[in-house]
Amino acid sequence: MEVIINQEDGKTYVKLTGRLDTTNTTAFQEDIEPLFTMDNPDIELDCTDMEYTSSQGLRAFLMLQKSVSARGGKLVMTNMKPQVREVFDITGFSTIINIR
Amino acid sequence: MTTRIVPIAGKTAEIIETVMTSPDVPQDEGLRFKIRLSVEEIAENIVTYAYNNGNGFLEITTSLDEKGVLTISFKDAGVPFNPLEKEDPDITLGLDERPVGGLGIFICKKMMDSVSYVFEDGCNNFTMTIKTRR
Repeated sequence: MEVIINQEDGKTYVKLTGRLDTTNTTAFQEDIEPLFTMDNPDIELDCTDMEYTSSQGLRAFLMLQKSVSARGGKLVMTNMKPQVREVFDITGFSTIINIR
Repeated sequence: MTTRIVPIAGKTAEIIETVMTSPDVPQDEGLRFKIRLSVEEIAENIVTYAYNNGNGFLEITTSLDEKGVLTISFKDAGVPFNPLEKEDPDITLGLDERPVGGLGIFICKKMMDSVSYVFEDGCNNFTMTIKTRR
């Protein structure tokens, strides 16, 4: 999973590319670590090229959402592929993470 | 097709590839997504919890019947554990109440057409099926 973080006008854009699975979730969590510490987080995760996520990936997104909410910030996931979206839907994650 | 992997410590990726490269598994991308995800969730569980130090075997069997039903079975001789006994997570809980984790088996149940477990001859046997023709 490739993670590119860009800051622009107070917003944080994160481009996610590839598969998030059991082999790389730990590395992914390290890659997104800056998102857990910034003040006033306003984060958009661009999921256009995210191919796959396992339950471990979901866990990482849930932890991020909890952290962002605790800091009064905003998080949105955009352009999710239908198959990935289905994983978020069946687990009820679509109702706790803003997906657009 | 049956493949035996031993020891299984750290072999989740190999287990997934064993299934995904089986000639019984169809090429349809949507089906492959569901199969890969389900296999990953089960494999990760077995690798992590079945044996102390992952020092044991896992036998993976795939078969495709004449009606196009794909069956994938996992057999290990580790600690007896029925993953289907676990209650489904409450997916209606809000952000604050939502526990982190406990979704793997639930995802597998939702993605597959059937899942079953039996403890037999000292082994855990977990089986999942999915129709490959609609």
